[in-house]
Amino acid sequence: MLIKRLRKIVKGSAKLRPKYQRQGATVVYAKDIVILCGVIRWMDIPCFLSPFPLKLETYLKFANIPYKVALGKGRGESPKDKIPWIEYNGLKIGDSSLIIEFLNEEFNIDLNKNLNPTEKAIGRAFQKMVEENMFWGHAHWLFCHNHEDWPNVGRVLGTYLKYLDFPMTGRRVKGYIHGHGIGRHTEQELYAIVEKDLRAICTFLGEKKFLFGDEPCEYDCAIFGQLAQLLWCPFPGSPQQILIKGDLKNLEEYCYRMKERFWPDWEQCILGDKVPIASFDICNPADPHILKEK
Amino acid sequence: MASSSRESSARSNKKGFPRDTVVLHQIGRGKYAPSISPFPIKLETYLRFANIPYVSVHGTKTSSKGKIPWIEFNGEVVNDTSFIIDFLNKKFNVDLNSHLSPTDRAIARAFQKMVEENLFWSLVYSRWFDKQTKFETLAPNSFIYTWVIATYLKNGAKKNMHGHGIGRHSKEEIYHIAEKDIRALSVFLGDKCFLFGDEPCEEDCAVFGLLSQFVWQSPATPQEALVKGDCKNLEEYCYRMKERFWPDWEQCILGDRELRSFIECPDTDPSVMKKEDKE
Repeated sequence: MLIKRLRKIVKGSAKLRPKYQRQGATVVYAKDIVILCGVIRWMDIPCFLSPFPLKLETYLKFANIPYKVALGKGRGESPKDKIPWIEYNGLKIGDSSLIIEFLNEEFNIDLNKNLNPTEKAIGRAFQKMVEENMFWGHAHWLFCHNHEDWPNVGRVLGTYLKYLDFPMTGRRVKGYIHGHGIGRHTEQELYAIVEKDLRAICTFLGEKKFLFGDEPCEYDCAIFGQLAQLLWCPFPGSPQQILIKGDLKNLEEYCYRMKERFWPDWEQCILGDKVPIASFDICNPADPHILKEK
Repeated sequence: MASSSRESSARSNKKGFPRDTVVLHQIGRGKYAPSISPFPIKLETYLRFANIPYVSVHGTKTSSKGKIPWIEFNGEVVNDTSFIIDFLNKKFNVDLNSHLSPTDRAIARAFQKMVEENLFWSLVYSRWFDKQTKFETLAPNSFIYTWVIATYLKNGAKKNMHGHGIGRHSKEEIYHIAEKDIRALSVFLGDKCFLFGDEPCEEDCAVFGLLSQFVWQSPATPQEALVKGDCKNLEEYCYRMKERFWPDWEQCILGDRELRSFIECPDTDPSVMKKEDKE
């Protein structure tokens, strides 16, 4: 009896699950609707903490793909132990870039049709720089930086988040950053690297409305996802936020432009000031995208 | 500026390293390319490009961050190739990107980061975790030695890849990501001689460092097939960089000889510090 229970626990662990892209979902919610999981609504930003759910949700809005957000589904059921992930017609797919490729194929979408091949290559390079390099600076600020006034930093997090969840996640993220290699640097070196990346994006964007002119493309979603997390960070005062609001003002204007274009329902999606945070699966009642289970 | 990338090594003066010369610490020469890792090649190509005097010291000693290559310069130790390049640019007043516009510099940085942070992991995967590649042809013949080193490196690489995130993907997904990166590089390079026209820039060293591994030291991998097949302009680019900056390539590689260990360098290596160079 005990052995059976142990086997169930072991088999249910996400890390030991075989790593293949598409796994069977336990419940099929609705046909031909993307169920977006791993999203946490927050007080001033629709996707808390991680730039990838925001990138994915911005893409879904851009591509006009019908979707619903399933709150409360976190990393536990994720196929790759990471967020975001989706369930679509009985399939579970992880990793935002692979999800976007899958949906492009499924719905026959090409958001980059206005770009020539060289521009697509440059866009991919910028996306990778932001996702693989700059991302760790943001992760470091959230979890590894020694915030001096930790109890008062940012908004009220709630006891569970402040004292249990964040430190635990922080230990895990520290391991990730060290494994990646960039965590071996000191904090100043890491932020210097991120500053150079930000300046590179700022220079490339220049006075254009979006990365490649007046119309946005798929790569804009990725860049916006990251910059929005830096701008609307739960712990304000990071060096990156100071840069974006100061020297690199065109990045701030770019974020607001993307927000107006793709998130007209931003205010309806965020929790605002009034709702106290106690757990991750609460939402604004006016949020049009939340999946209501029957 | 106090940082862990630069440490003063009072001991290094006792080793008698020459003054005003960069002492480059690496882990030996590769069989068909000057190093088994892309970063020493990147750094050495940069040093040759910038005409900075340097000598090589081959050994297993890693930096304080546990990585190679690292340098010592007049008693100062600097880690991490990006910081080393910044440090030497300042010391020697070098700007290899002076012919690039600010936008081109931004694009160059983006490509360097894509290559070093994304494509690099597919190289790690194809060497240590893909059983169909023939990486053992580049390893020393001693089975036990290779097995011990490989197991040690493999465990570290597995943890690093898992931490990075790319280790959670399946084999097909990792190669798919690598293919898209290689194709993006190939499209951007196009018919040009180097990344930004007829003259190379600083980021060409980084891209060359990684692509040289695919061209010469990745037997039976999908990346090699791609670089020598569909994206042949990348292979030609590597040969161009090799002719330009490595005229003594043949003297720097180990060739077809039988290897006794991973840390070896040929007697013909011109950059190795000789006794008469020591003070």
